[in-house]
Amino acid sequence: MYVLTTTRTLALAALCTAMLPLSTASAQQATEIQISYSNGQFQPREVRAPADKPVVFRVRNLDGKAMEFESTSLRVEKVVAAKSQGVINVRALKAGRYEFYDDFNEKARGALVVE
Amino acid sequence: MRVPSFSCGARALAGTMLAGLCLGGVAHADDAANWREIETKYIFGFTTGSGIGIEGEKEVTVDTIGRFGKRDGRYNATETKYEFEFTPSQFVQIEFGALGSTHDIRNVTDLDDRRQLAFGGGFGEFRYLALERTSNNPLSVTLAFEPTVRLVDETSGEQVHNYEFETTLNADLELVRNRLFAGFNLLYEPEYTHTLLDETIRETKLGVSAALSFRVTPNVVIGGEVWYLRHYDDFALSAFTGDAVMLGPTLYVRFTPKMFMTAAWNTQVWGREVGTPFSLNLAEFQRNRAKLKFAVEF
Repeated sequence: MYVLTTTRTLALAALCTAMLPLSTASAQQATEIQISYSNGQFQPREVRAPADKPVVFRVRNLDGKAMEFESTSLRVEKVVAAKSQGVINVRALKAGRYEFYDDFNEKARGALVVE
Repeated sequence: MRVPSFSCGARALAGTMLAGLCLGGVAHADDAANWREIETKYIFGFTTGSGIGIEGEKEVTVDTIGRFGKRDGRYNATETKYEFEFTPSQFVQIEFGALGSTHDIRNVTDLDDRRQLAFGGGFGEFRYLALERTSNNPLSVTLAFEPTVRLVDETSGEQVHNYEFETTLNADLELVRNRLFAGFNLLYEPEYTHTLLDETIRETKLGVSAALSFRVTPNVVIGGEVWYLRHYDDFALSAFTGDAVMLGPTLYVRFTPKMFMTAAWNTQVWGREVGTPFSLNLAEFQRNRAKLKFAVEF
């Protein structure tokens, strides 16, 4: 019985620890970044945000076909239909350079610089 | 002793790696700094990288591990994971699936002869990214917990009830941007088995690995890894029964942005069994093991 209670407590603690970065991130004021996508390119190609704050990307796809905003280091992806807007929420980030791209178009690249 | 699977498998993997190197030569002029960043989870063979995928991404994989060769007779066994994985947040990845197993055993000491194909059980995995890589920090660390229930014993193929709780620490280091990666795993794998003869067995596998992977082209990564594995007949790591060192090449190929494969071959190069004069540990481990995994993301 004691073992079971201890196991449950540990499992709950692990779950709370796992969710901590998410709850902390959502509680902070997010930095909003507007990006447009046209002719197979991001505009602007480089954007900036402060460290330790969540980021919200608003990606407007002005092209006539869908694109997929994706980033391995940001760990997000979102398909944005033609002539529409996609919203991507990103956790609070440490200082550094985070690349993003259109997964449907090898040449469309951009970067978020966090400082 | 029949060891064709070693020579064929190793040669096939070596050939593919050689082809990868040649392709690498073609792409040598490319500036690796302009390559897309790579997900590191599957680039180290049996060693698992720290990657947890991308939030919202889903993946279906078929992951087969083959184990070949005991001290005598013929021993070929495989276990295949039919797996679904998804990343619900930017810190957590969850996987689950079913297991299928095959056993082809003949004239192996302490094992019954057997040729069978069976549903093997099921598993789940929870991965938590504890330390993330940034452009200023090349190290990334993930903790993983994988409970597994087996209805068929991995080694003998006998019907059993087996409960395993694999716990691993997966770390990797980007040594040269987009090009060269080092991977490290720590493994603690206790398991409890209840046999049809009403016997209970408690055992633990403990392991540590190091791997080095070189990205020869944007979509091909080759490398090598070494594992040191220890086996105990209890959970508390006091009843040591033997250990082994396994070594071999690894390969990762991304065919399309949403499809990839990974392969690895490990050969036991050193081992010992407590209480025997043998030079390898083929009681608890195998002479060779292979991994082949195909994945589709969506």
